[in-house]
Amino acid sequence: MSDNEKILIASSTKNLSKVRKFVEESAEHSGLDQATVNQIVLSVDEACTNIIKHAHKYNETNTIEIEIEAGYNQFKITFNYKSGNTFDPNEAQNPDMVEYFKNYKVGGLGIPIMKKFMSKIIAQHKNPDVNSLILIKSIDKPSSLPSGTKLFRGTILFR
Amino acid sequence: MEEFSITKKSSGEIEVLNLEGFLDAHTSVELEKELETLLAAGKFKIIVNFKKLTYISSAGLGVFMAYIENTRNNNGDIKLCEMSEKIFNIFDMLGFPILFEIYNEEGTALEKFSNN
Repeated sequence: MSDNEKILIASSTKNLSKVRKFVEESAEHSGLDQATVNQIVLSVDEACTNIIKHAHKYNETNTIEIEIEAGYNQFKITFNYKSGNTFDPNEAQNPDMVEYFKNYKVGGLGIPIMKKFMSKIIAQHKNPDVNSLILIKSIDKPSSLPSGTKLFRGTILFR
Repeated sequence: MEEFSITKKSSGEIEVLNLEGFLDAHTSVELEKELETLLAAGKFKIIVNFKKLTYISSAGLGVFMAYIENTRNNNGDIKLCEMSEKIFNIFDMLGFPILFEIYNEEGTALEKFSNN
């Protein structure tokens, strides 16, 4: 088992694979079924991509901290990032997909995926420019871990 | 191991792209370049084989949306085939079968082009 509970990455799409691996291993260790693991991994990818693209405008000098808390009833992923440009996925309306295909639209599907697969999304803006985006997956089947259990400790920095 | 790779083969006027690995916001640029190259060369009949693709995010889906209209305006198409259940579920959840032809077998996709 890895002994990390959070990672810090440079804000670049080249680090998406590392983020996915980190989250996938954690979700698997917490006993979630493969379909749920896949949903969480994809949602985290979409959230991370949105922060890199919209909040950081692909500026790799920015960083994103990703923290996981695997509890008895939920699997929680928190993205902490600095930016004056925050976004709240809850404020975005899902596209009308019939119109979407009719007009050959591109993009804008990351948030609908997150909303579909995650139980709750919370966007927090902290002064002066620190933001948190929290994705929560409720777990129907109790995992084998006691309430409040944290799986990992430590920090890894990927550059 | 490479995160993502594309291998190409031609079958008459039809181009087949075999995708392998992980298609995300980072690697989708490579697929965009490949499709742009094909369209610039006047190749509008394209089959994308997903047999060895293990992961796709919305950035990957966006690549197909970006080029489908151009191919169809030129009597071509981008037909998709041999997706795993995991990959197909993402396409299906968002309604992509409304716009895209998705086949279980590459041979069927080839036949569809031949019949048109």
